[in-house]
Amino acid sequence: MKLTRVGDSREIDAEVISRDGSTIRVRIGDRQLAAEFTANADGGGVLTIDGRRYLIFGARRKDSILVSVGPASFEFMPAEAAFRRRARGLAAPEIIAPMPGKVLKLMVRDGDLVEAGQALVVIEAMKMETTLAAESAAMVKHVRVEEGQMVDHGAVLIELSPSPASSGRESAPRVE
Amino acid sequence: MERRLTKLLVANRGEIALRIIRSARLFGLKTVAVYSAADAKSAHVGAADEAIAIGPAQPAKSYLDIAAIIAAAKHCGADAIHPGYGFLSERPEFAQAAADAQIVFVGPRPEVMAALGDKVAARRIAVAAGVPVVPGIEAAEISATREFAALVGYPLVVKAAAGGGGRGMRVVAQAAQLESALGAAAREAAAAFGDGRIFVEKYLAYPRHIEIQFLGDDHGAVAAFGERDCSIQRRHQKIIEESPAPGLTDQMRAKIIDAALKLARAARYTNAGTAEFLVEGDNFYFLEVNARLQVEHPVTEMRFGCDLVCEQLRIASGGKAPVPAAPRGAAIECRINAEDPEHDFRPATGTVLHLSVPGGPGVRFDSHLARGAEVTPWYDGLLGKLICYGANREEARGRLVNALDEFALLGVTNNAAYLRDIVASGQFRDAKLSTRFIDSFFSGWEIGKSEIDAAIVAAAITGGGAMGDIPSDGAALPAGAERRSPWDDLKNFELWGSRR
Repeated sequence: MKLTRVGDSREIDAEVISRDGSTIRVRIGDRQLAAEFTANADGGGVLTIDGRRYLIFGARRKDSILVSVGPASFEFMPAEAAFRRRARGLAAPEIIAPMPGKVLKLMVRDGDLVEAGQALVVIEAMKMETTLAAESAAMVKHVRVEEGQMVDHGAVLIELSPSPASSGRESAPRVE
Repeated sequence: MERRLTKLLVANRGEIALRIIRSARLFGLKTVAVYSAADAKSAHVGAADEAIAIGPAQPAKSYLDIAAIIAAAKHCGADAIHPGYGFLSERPEFAQAAADAQIVFVGPRPEVMAALGDKVAARRIAVAAGVPVVPGIEAAEISATREFAALVGYPLVVKAAAGGGGRGMRVVAQAAQLESALGAAAREAAAAFGDGRIFVEKYLAYPRHIEIQFLGDDHGAVAAFGERDCSIQRRHQKIIEESPAPGLTDQMRAKIIDAALKLARAARYTNAGTAEFLVEGDNFYFLEVNARLQVEHPVTEMRFGCDLVCEQLRIASGGKAPVPAAPRGAAIECRINAEDPEHDFRPATGTVLHLSVPGGPGVRFDSHLARGAEVTPWYDGLLGKLICYGANREEARGRLVNALDEFALLGVTNNAAYLRDIVASGQFRDAKLSTRFIDSFFSGWEIGKSEIDAAIVAAAITGGGAMGDIPSDGAALPAGAERRSPWDDLKNFELWGSRR
């Protein structure tokens, strides 16, 4: 299955090739890994790769898969869902509220050309100001919110389209 | 002056509300929780003897609403209020409103709080008491600030007069950033504290943040409970704190404690407070007094074998401040926050789907988390504090690394792996501490490659459907299936997730 780690634009092609008792062979891209997996009664398990043991837990949330590896936690999405976001040759064609909050400041207007890393909007949530920036060069197609507006998690704040100055191809994410 | 207290209202939420309720019960008090609409199912609500709804999710209309909280206290017959930290804890108007309602406020008197809780006023008291302060300027008007900058040079730091927790604080590296930094700091300060006043100080290059915990009583005694090193900060918010401060000479420690006590006595301070200092080389500078219990108080408790909340309650009852026991060993705390360390630490929210809590000797986890708990965007993202004690720093550090390795939390992105890597690092082991520690050693942190591999394998097992005996859609196990898959329990997780 093709997975995308949330927050990372690259696709990971991962597949359980075989399973023999507790021995699992997994292909990640063109690499193969052998892993030992022992289930625990509490919904987790112990995964051993190259002699290193990891305490893991997994859960599904709507269309994403959450796993923890020790204190580290990860979220994966099936690639199709993640791909839709990037279909237009942009790292992220939309600037989406990563959490519910208040739009504090808008730094761009419809039609503006922006560069990768340029700050577009400041939202306030959890008592902190968070600045959201463009992931790639783009043109601001449509600013969908106003300053002072409360927004929900996942709300589209700004729509972007490929910058006419760039070919669009260069800023496309790598697909592996 | 003895006052017999019977019922304590805790004007706060999250881990600190739970922690106060525990000590209040030990002290023999009935406890009352207050909660906003967003916190109706929060742990502190269930932990108290009574719980009272005080308003909607917005802090300004619930936890920051003095009238609503005083009304709740009157309604349930509470004779004392503990404000915790944050929210109203350092608002003199709140302490005054409690006094006006004949309710004991567990903290300093309003006039002391007004004098010391305000960073600008506190600086003046320090100067008057002969305690050194960092060069700075009040008011922070743009032209006057430019003149000040010309005098002391960049970088500067802009702070909120009413600030705390790094909010409303901005470092200004060069003149071009000054005006926007003043604006942003003032906006953040106004939003967080309802007070947009800011001031500017020279930003020291590689200082350590050392603070002194003290307790004062109504009988005029003030006692210091050693120091904490809180140098490891990210965006001026502490993430790792410890006691004792490694490598601090006894003379320096004594000098700083002496300065803290001078300040507390000059202010006729009562109840718990903390004086914060920056230490650079042989110099130290007063920063501010936190006129409340602090997030990092457990490191002092573990080293001094005391319960600071019980001491606060004893002092509020008219009792005496304790004589500190001889401190023993070392304690280190780290703050597990709802934030994404791989994406500029942006705040995270969500529902806790799985939680593994570490244990063992010398391990303490102060938290309100449990499976099903919701982390909302309304409040700060502190999920819990993990504190480890050891006979010496290295033992405490080893326990903290192990404890973080045992910690697992799914559903709310958090910084536990980041903290583990810091505490396990050679730089932390060698105590190369300064407030620039993170900038110096951990600015480009990434999760380990082998952990990513393990995560992908786990995700493939979980989501791949390649394992025949795993129901992928919550369907019942095939009849006669012998081995129970661990992933069956995911149905429960999905239930929690879909209940929203």
